[in-house]
Amino acid sequence: MKRLKQFFKWMKGNKRYYLLAALLLILLQYFRTLTPLFIQHIVDTVFGNKQSNLPIFISDMLKADTVAKQLLLVAIVYSLFALLRVTIMFIRRVINALFTERIAYNMRNTLYNKLQDLSFSYHSHAETGDLIQRCTTDVETYRVFIGEQLIEIIRLVFLIGFSIIQMSRMSGTMTLISVVITPIIFGISVVYFIKVKKIFKRVEEAEAKMTTTLQESVTGIRVVKAFAKEKVEIEKFDVHSKKYLQEDFRLLKLMAIFWGSTDFIIFIQYCLTVSVGIYLSVKGDLDPGQFIAYLYYIGMIVWPMRQLGRIVGDFGKTTVALDRLDEIMLKDSEHKDDSTNKPDITGLVEFDNVGFQFDDDDKPLLKNISFKVNKGESIAIVGKTGSGKSTLINLMIRLLDNQEGSIKFDGVDIKDINKKHLRKNVGIIMQEPFLYSRSLYENIRIMEKNAPEEKVIQAASIASLHDDIQKFESGYETMVGERGVTLSGGQKQRVAIARMLLESKPVLIFDDSLSAVDTETDIQIRTALNTHRKNTTMFIITHRITTAMEADKIIVLDKGEIVEMGNHESLLKQDGIYAQLWDIQTNVEYDFMKLEEGVE
Amino acid sequence: MDYFEEEEYTDSKFDIAVWKKIFSYMRPFRRNLILGILAAVVLAAIDTIYPLINKYAIDEIIESGSLEKLPYFILFYIVIMFVIGFMVYGFIINAGQVNQKLSFTLRKNAFKKLHELPFSYYDRTPVGWIMARMTSDSRNLSDILSWGLIDLSWGLLMMVGITIVMLIVNLKLALITLSTLPLLIALSIYFRTKILRAYRKIRKENSRITGSFNEGITGAKTTKTLVLEEENFNDFDHLTSKMKRHSIKAAVFAGLYFPSILFIATIATSLVIYYGGIDVSNDVITIGMLYLFMAYIGSFFEPVMQLANILARFQQAQASAERLIGLIEQEPEIFDTPEVVEKYGDALNFKKENWEELIGAVEFENVTFKYSKGETVLKDFSLKVKAGESIALVGHTGAGKSTIVNLICRFYEPTSGRILIDGRNYKERSIGWLHDNLGYVLQSPHLFSGTILENIRYGRPDATLEEVIHAAKLVEADNFIVEFKEGYETEVGEGGARLSVGQKQLISFARALIADPKILILDEATSSVDTKTEKSIQRAIKIVLKGRTSFVIAHRLSTITQSNRILVLENGIIEESGTHQELIKLEKRYYKLYTNQFKSKVIEDSKNG
Repeated sequence: MKRLKQFFKWMKGNKRYYLLAALLLILLQYFRTLTPLFIQHIVDTVFGNKQSNLPIFISDMLKADTVAKQLLLVAIVYSLFALLRVTIMFIRRVINALFTERIAYNMRNTLYNKLQDLSFSYHSHAETGDLIQRCTTDVETYRVFIGEQLIEIIRLVFLIGFSIIQMSRMSGTMTLISVVITPIIFGISVVYFIKVKKIFKRVEEAEAKMTTTLQESVTGIRVVKAFAKEKVEIEKFDVHSKKYLQEDFRLLKLMAIFWGSTDFIIFIQYCLTVSVGIYLSVKGDLDPGQFIAYLYYIGMIVWPMRQLGRIVGDFGKTTVALDRLDEIMLKDSEHKDDSTNKPDITGLVEFDNVGFQFDDDDKPLLKNISFKVNKGESIAIVGKTGSGKSTLINLMIRLLDNQEGSIKFDGVDIKDINKKHLRKNVGIIMQEPFLYSRSLYENIRIMEKNAPEEKVIQAASIASLHDDIQKFESGYETMVGERGVTLSGGQKQRVAIARMLLESKPVLIFDDSLSAVDTETDIQIRTALNTHRKNTTMFIITHRITTAMEADKIIVLDKGEIVEMGNHESLLKQDGIYAQLWDIQTNVEYDFMKLEEGVE
Repeated sequence: MDYFEEEEYTDSKFDIAVWKKIFSYMRPFRRNLILGILAAVVLAAIDTIYPLINKYAIDEIIESGSLEKLPYFILFYIVIMFVIGFMVYGFIINAGQVNQKLSFTLRKNAFKKLHELPFSYYDRTPVGWIMARMTSDSRNLSDILSWGLIDLSWGLLMMVGITIVMLIVNLKLALITLSTLPLLIALSIYFRTKILRAYRKIRKENSRITGSFNEGITGAKTTKTLVLEEENFNDFDHLTSKMKRHSIKAAVFAGLYFPSILFIATIATSLVIYYGGIDVSNDVITIGMLYLFMAYIGSFFEPVMQLANILARFQQAQASAERLIGLIEQEPEIFDTPEVVEKYGDALNFKKENWEELIGAVEFENVTFKYSKGETVLKDFSLKVKAGESIALVGHTGAGKSTIVNLICRFYEPTSGRILIDGRNYKERSIGWLHDNLGYVLQSPHLFSGTILENIRYGRPDATLEEVIHAAKLVEADNFIVEFKEGYETEVGEGGARLSVGQKQLISFARALIADPKILILDEATSSVDTKTEKSIQRAIKIVLKGRTSFVIAHRLSTITQSNRILVLENGIIEESGTHQELIKLEKRYYKLYTNQFKSKVIEDSKNG
């Protein structure tokens, strides 16, 4: 029952069409089983003056005084009947396509929305490849199931059913003989397709491994070449390619045996039916026209039986796909129960005893974080990798939710602020920024689709990006992202900065977002920012101590706690971690200064 | 996971040369192809004969009213049963093998070629494009040349067989039946081409949708932070709506196809019913003959529809064939001359016994270089580096730092001029010889999926665990590695995705070290490690650089000052050259570049400090 619900829930709004398509399909199968009876009619009634097995309303139409006229009538009625059949067939197919595509369309959109709304922690744990597989292959599996397989089952069952009914109207013995082996064919097919699934999976895995090897080798070609490991790679690929070949061959052999042997069995059924049919005809229990009709009916039973077994055996695939889709759909959206409150955010930020810990972790990532930042101030956060810097940032825009303490913007707890509103006001530039597959131009103005050109260029200039862009062949129209040119890490970071600068936000966060930019450019950008964004509260996470020292306030994090806080001078005097970091990084520079003094 | 965009497809003319080449790859397994076709021929013959047997039953046995001939009839049926069983088996196993072996061969050849092609090829060819050639193109092509070809022979032979039998047994009915054939074929080809084209559009939309999903998932964090959910969804909806429209359109075409073919066949049947029926009533032909023609009309459509399908697919497959052959036959711009290969071996077979030891002196002699389409990066560039010397390259993006490094690695070759290693033009020795002696650490390092251990060992596969740990310790990677639950056996994920950039850099550093290279290249190798680690690495670098020629590109002053010589580059020209002290004294570009790091405030501070 639950399964059934699962199967049908995606069909919302399309059930009526589905029903209509199914009814037309059933009608078509009935029509199809009538066609052999036309031949029976000609042979037995027109030529033999025997009973016609056609439905009376049709056989009544075919009455005439001469044989020639009768034949002409049969030919005409048969053609008209076929015209009706193919018209319905066409209509049925169009309806089928309409609802199938509508269902697929709904599925894709629902999934896309869901994925966008799932929380950050969900995404940081999920595997991209796996998710994409679900959104594409699993959707396709269901689409095929609903649009083709389920329909096909209906078609086959009714075709077999109507054939048996038509046959039994002619001869009980013959009907029994005609279906005697078919259950075996059905059984073999079901069992085979269930069994072969495992092997099929192994083939797929082998293929996936081969593709991964290929892709890794091609993306890492610089490394391969630099280490002169072409041979290793070629051999590795060869191993996977051969493995795939072997697995695929096993599958092929099984397939060949299955199709060969079932064809053999199907012909046993043919032989049986035809032989008994001949025997009964000669004995006079079967009319010659009926015999010919039987020749057609066996075909309408045995081949569909095998096909039916195949689909039933393949059934599991769809349930697996639906389960995998449900795993996504049943997760809660991060916007569920979100506040609708949209207070003004000016840039006053307050952390009060904030603590955070992942559910599956035994240690808190942050604890007892308290500090206050005034509007327009800049705060540098330094600390080793893993000290909690990024977590702190993620809490500020509610990619994660703090369990302890409170974070307030202008006195309002962020949990009482609408998430999207919060994020619109707090801009963040990440270390490894993501660019969308569009032109540089479109990427920079992605948040403000109608921004004029001057504004885009201005933002790019502040981010020290404009000159770089000018060097590209297509300038601002250069495509980036998945399908575009590969930008260097520094260029990506600067695009991200320019993108963020297009809108003025009260709070900006730089999450080590200038790490891949050279020092000179780093300074240029920061100087430009300071003049253009005086009233912006800025959080700067950095490894560069020369960047941190300029901030109004410096926070030193270690193991999730604030160990030092103050400005550059006061922290140097404390002679703690900050002073140590400063020492390390400027060691060389001290020599440099001494040298310089010497020069002077 | 990658998605691959469908190539634009143009209806090109039949190109015999391309197919000839493809067929040459099939030579090793032509036996399978021939056997497959033979099986198809036998099956086609049976399909032709089968209605004749039933005709025989109707006319000879049932009409005669005697069961005398029934045993022969059954015997004949049994023979056919066995023949069909075996032939279907033979058909599938052989066609399948042609399919598998051909795609295997194509993949193998293309993969080998990919490793012979120089960097410049990868500069202009996206990975996705290559993946599409290696996966969907090779699959398409093998598919059509195995199943397609064998199905084609079945279909053709069956049509020919049926036509011949019809013409022999009854000319009049044969002509009536065959009169519908041209319409049948024309309609089939028309629809098939239309449908294929529609499906191509769908596949293209589909790959766009996959791309969108990919972007939505990998960019989820960014989307959230920029609050672009609605815009993204609107873009996505645009794609899926288009997909829906195209799909429905294709379905309407496909939905029209089969019914119209069926209807034409019905017309043929009606004609046979009328004209044949009259002949039966006049005792000109038997009822069995009437049945025979009706059965033949029925078995005509499948091959006609299939033929149209295969022909249309062949047309499409030609594009795949052209692209694949294009890849396999791509001439590498950088290669070893036959003489060099003769002596030093190729990438697959090093003749290490003939390799001279690489000492490490590097010289640029009037080297000019420009990228295949683009401006000249180096012009008349000369540089002499002694063995064991460490060189730092400093300058803006585009100054030519990476080019110099790429030239040393022979990832590119000079457009003119020579590069000498140990006094000899490096083209006189093999690429393998150079690369085997080279250590290379990149800013965005690439790791292979597998464990950390395997990744470090990539530098030297026979390194012991101790040696691996030693290398990791040297670059301060050991610290974080042992903190993982699995230690050195930790899986790094595809492309090293489970590690941070800094961690990847350290591992790739260890990987380079373990190879004990004579020439070491560090291209922004430690930009993403934190200050403390960087400091420790500096110590390590000091040890590591000893006895090796090294080229270091770095933004961080602390890394640069370690080198024997600093080259300040601007537009491919060495503007300044000397040690740190010397360059500071010069008070020119280098001085300016690095005083920027310390604005007055710092200088005051440090003076006070």
